[in-house]
Amino acid sequence: MSNWRFKEIVVLTALSVVFAVVYLAFLPVGKILVGLFGPIGYDLIFGIWFIVSIIAAYILRKPGAAFLSETIAAMVEVLIGNAVGPMLIVSGMIQGLGAEAAFAATRWKNYSVWVLMAAGAGSGITSFAYGYFMSGYAALSTGYVVAMFAARVISGALIAGLLGKALSDGLAKTGVLNSYALGKEYRRKNAS
Amino acid sequence: MFLHHLNPSIKALTIGLIVILLALIFDPVTPFILLLFTISLTFIGGRVDVKKYLLYFIPFSILAFGMLWTTIVFADTPKNPEDIISVLGMEYPRESLLTAIALSLRVLSVASLSLLFIFTTNIVDFILSLIQQLKLPPKIAYGVLAGYRFLPMMKDELAVIHAAHRIRGVNQVLTLKERLKQYKRYSIPLLASAIRKAERTAIAMESKGFTGDKSRTFYRRFTITSKDWLFIIIMLAAFTTAVYTSIKLGYFNWYNGEI
Repeated sequence: MSNWRFKEIVVLTALSVVFAVVYLAFLPVGKILVGLFGPIGYDLIFGIWFIVSIIAAYILRKPGAAFLSETIAAMVEVLIGNAVGPMLIVSGMIQGLGAEAAFAATRWKNYSVWVLMAAGAGSGITSFAYGYFMSGYAALSTGYVVAMFAARVISGALIAGLLGKALSDGLAKTGVLNSYALGKEYRRKNAS
Repeated sequence: MFLHHLNPSIKALTIGLIVILLALIFDPVTPFILLLFTISLTFIGGRVDVKKYLLYFIPFSILAFGMLWTTIVFADTPKNPEDIISVLGMEYPRESLLTAIALSLRVLSVASLSLLFIFTTNIVDFILSLIQQLKLPPKIAYGVLAGYRFLPMMKDELAVIHAAHRIRGVNQVLTLKERLKQYKRYSIPLLASAIRKAERTAIAMESKGFTGDKSRTFYRRFTITSKDWLFIIIMLAAFTTAVYTSIKLGYFNWYNGEI
């Protein structure tokens, strides 16, 4: 934590707060999809719930950004007083760990599209393992569980990875990120 | 009013423990008893508005219902396919039906536990207690509190962006496609203003001497008292009673490595 500027921490939490609201807004969407397709409904759009990890890590480029942002977003979701209660913090931590693992594999150096997509998929893998245990997927047939898993990983890579990158790049263009890693890189690229 | 005065961290940990224990149970009786117990405890031990409680509880019921029918439809092949229960003229394998009911009751039971926490806990207290009892670094905790302050501001900010777009005549939203485009138009300005506000808040806090040092003092101190231990004991006793009743009735069934 010592190499974090306080400014970066507050920006990270601000991002988490914004996306906590987005996450909550998507819960009813998920519930409708679950009503229509069964538990797989959540998995189709599950990537949206990993997006803050990817955005925070991509913008700040510090070890722990993916994990912390997702954890804080989950905390804020609990604080707003909705969703699944305090246990949501645990699932947020687990999702954050999945994304963090992908960034850790590149030693927090590489933030290319592929790594961002891998981070989204990573969250999908860890959150599925957790969901398997907590939500009792063991009672479902194997084929269905495999389909859920595939849907979640792909959704993580596409929605969290690609959409997260697009949003962050859009933000970098406005110039608000000029004192953060992504904004610095953006300016360097434009200067040369 | 007992629930409102518990240590928030201990309350959260206890509920977390019960939820984990519940995740190991695959029979309908245990979560059902626990559900009834938690709801009664919420209303006896806390000041909770019934209408608001129901408003929060209904979405979970829908979720539980979704869980119920999908678990029946997509269930594993039962071990005793001959053992059949008929409901409303349709026949289901006993095992699948019981598991499905168990899983949906579990959703409701976890929901009631969560609502118990949410309806009886003050947010700022929870964060302060996280620093004091669970050693959350103050740098992060106060960051979260500062960030949390942005929440009501976001609504105003959205109104500002909306007005700004209207002045420029780009706010004719009629179709779903346009609505999606509108979200896209809102997202970047909203995030940008959130980041700017965060940056200013951080600078203001630092200029007033906030260092995020762990050895800070608190105006409001939280401690763990005998009440908190009593809460842990009550919850564990309720869980044990539920399991015991379930065993007595012959329904008890728990996770034993099924994949």
